[in-house]
Amino acid sequence: MRGVALAACALLASAALVTFPVWSAGWESSRYATTILRDMLILAIFALSLDLLVGTAGLPSLGHAAFFGAGAYAAAIAMERAGSDDLLLALGAAVAVAALLALVIGSFSVRTSGIFFLMLTLAFAQIVFAAAFQATDLTGGSNGFAGVLRPTFLGLDFNGPEALYQLVATIFILVIVILWRIRSSAYGRALVGLRENERRMRALGYDTTRLKLSAFVLAGALAGLGGALSGFALRFVSTNDVSLGRSIEGFVAVLVGGSGSLVGPAIGAAVVLYIERVLSSAVPFSETVLGLVFIVFVLAARQGIVGIGRAAYGRVRR
Amino acid sequence: MIETVDLRRAFGGLVALDGVTVRVAEGERRAIIGPNGAGKTTLFNILTGELRPTSGRVRLAGEDVTGRRPHELARRGLARMYQRNELFDPLPARDNVALGVGAARGPYRPFTRPPAADVAAADALLEQVGLGDRVRVPARELSHGERRQLELALALARRPRVLLLDEPTAGMSPAETARITSLIASLERTLTIVVVEHDMDVVFRLAERVTVLHEGRVIADGTPAAVRADSQVNEVYLGKVVA
Ligand SMILES: Nc1ncnc2c1ncn2[C@@H]1O[C@H](COP(=O)(O)OP(=O)(O)OP(=O)(O)O)[C@@H](O)[C@H]1O
Ligand SMILES: [Mg+2]
Repeated sequence: MRGVALAACALLASAALVTFPVWSAGWESSRYATTILRDMLILAIFALSLDLLVGTAGLPSLGHAAFFGAGAYAAAIAMERAGSDDLLLALGAAVAVAALLALVIGSFSVRTSGIFFLMLTLAFAQIVFAAAFQATDLTGGSNGFAGVLRPTFLGLDFNGPEALYQLVATIFILVIVILWRIRSSAYGRALVGLRENERRMRALGYDTTRLKLSAFVLAGALAGLGGALSGFALRFVSTNDVSLGRSIEGFVAVLVGGSGSLVGPAIGAAVVLYIERVLSSAVPFSETVLGLVFIVFVLAARQGIVGIGRAAYGRVRR
Repeated sequence: MIETVDLRRAFGGLVALDGVTVRVAEGERRAIIGPNGAGKTTLFNILTGELRPTSGRVRLAGEDVTGRRPHELARRGLARMYQRNELFDPLPARDNVALGVGAARGPYRPFTRPPAADVAAADALLEQVGLGDRVRVPARELSHGERRQLELALALARRPRVLLLDEPTAGMSPAETARITSLIASLERTLTIVVVEHDMDVVFRLAERVTVLHEGRVIADGTPAAVRADSQVNEVYLGKVVA
């Protein structure tokens, strides 16, 4: 009974999310809100994919933008070179390139852990950044890749802002469902085991190197998906998308929202994007605000917004 | 069943194992004793593949497994209770053991829940080690004795053929020690057990054969009675423990 109610709620929430442009059409700022929400969802996909590593498997990657950016470039370049705006072509290229890159970077990185893993992923991402900067013919270098096509699929055209928003929201929900299934699966539990005690996992017969690599590739592929959507949304891909700044943005979203859950990184992404995009036009020094928020959470609320919510709920129930 | 040939291991200038040859038959109950720093844990670390020997060979069930990685050896039926517990601290006792029970199937099923049979098997194992009423308690909230019991359950979770126990009763109360000793004694006779232990009552209760390690060398090897009577063993170790 409880399961049915929960499923109904999830379905309703999903429908409400996807139809946001429809039911908000009467608002004066509907267009603007749709754009902001779209970009929040894209950042949320990125943060959720990162949290599969940081929160679930205990692998603190500081180079996750490499896969976001690789996906963004791959989708844009594939559509341009093929002269096609096919959605599956674009997303397929994004996921394949991001996963392949994650396989290469992961093969080296997953042999380390903790601070060494952090530094190694950072270093590899900086190499990818430099490559994107210099491969002018492919990426547009410092000018960026402008005029990214918006995709079509089975006669659906995602060129309009509402349609594109709905594409993003649909894929966001898909990513949530995938990650939710993974969390309760044998695979998800093995990743938690990895986070809590790698030595015991090995002694139990788990090939932990392979397990870590698989998580790294999966997280990279999902980040690539987010990157492709970002390219569609902004019609522009630049080295910002592979930069350390983007990696940190994802990391901050995970930590502010609360790592190790599905809700946390999504809320964190919303908060980060709100501060960056909405607050920045109202108050000066919004970057500083973001920094301060981050420091407060690291010092006073390690479990993020989700942790604060849980603690409050626990107190109410008692 | 498990044997080493002329095993050496040096840590920089320190020689922790200096030519150790040990052979444990299938179904045998073997104790390894010796003073602190004798190299007992180092020997286990090499047997499980967590450390590479400087030289020498390791054989498991007749196969040369020297240099194989820990997970490969676990899959061949080797399991271990660590001297310092290696648990999944925030997880309930049940989930700790279920991770071991499910290990044989492999983790690459991202969309299917672990079967309910895993949980049932984990609960049965916890019952066997005396934690039947603690299955929902996170490992970190268990008492020291209970954590040792959970550590044993984790070692048994894959139904191993060879069980290495590194000081199973360390830090336990006399009552807990008696219980876990009976439990180990009651395990299937086909299981090969190597136990490192400082408590001589436990050693003489469990072992059919005793190997004495001192400064990385085997200084005695024989029946418990013969080892107890050995003058060199008394000098370096037993004399101090018993006296
Ligand atoms: N990883 C390591 N690096 C350096 N030295 C080590 C390492 N592991 C063990 N040693 C040294 O090797 C020697 C043997 O240690 P080991 O832990 O095998 O002894 P033990 O017989 O298990 O002792 P105890 O009864 O105290 O557990 C000790 O001198 C120890 O300091
Ligand atoms: Mg030891």
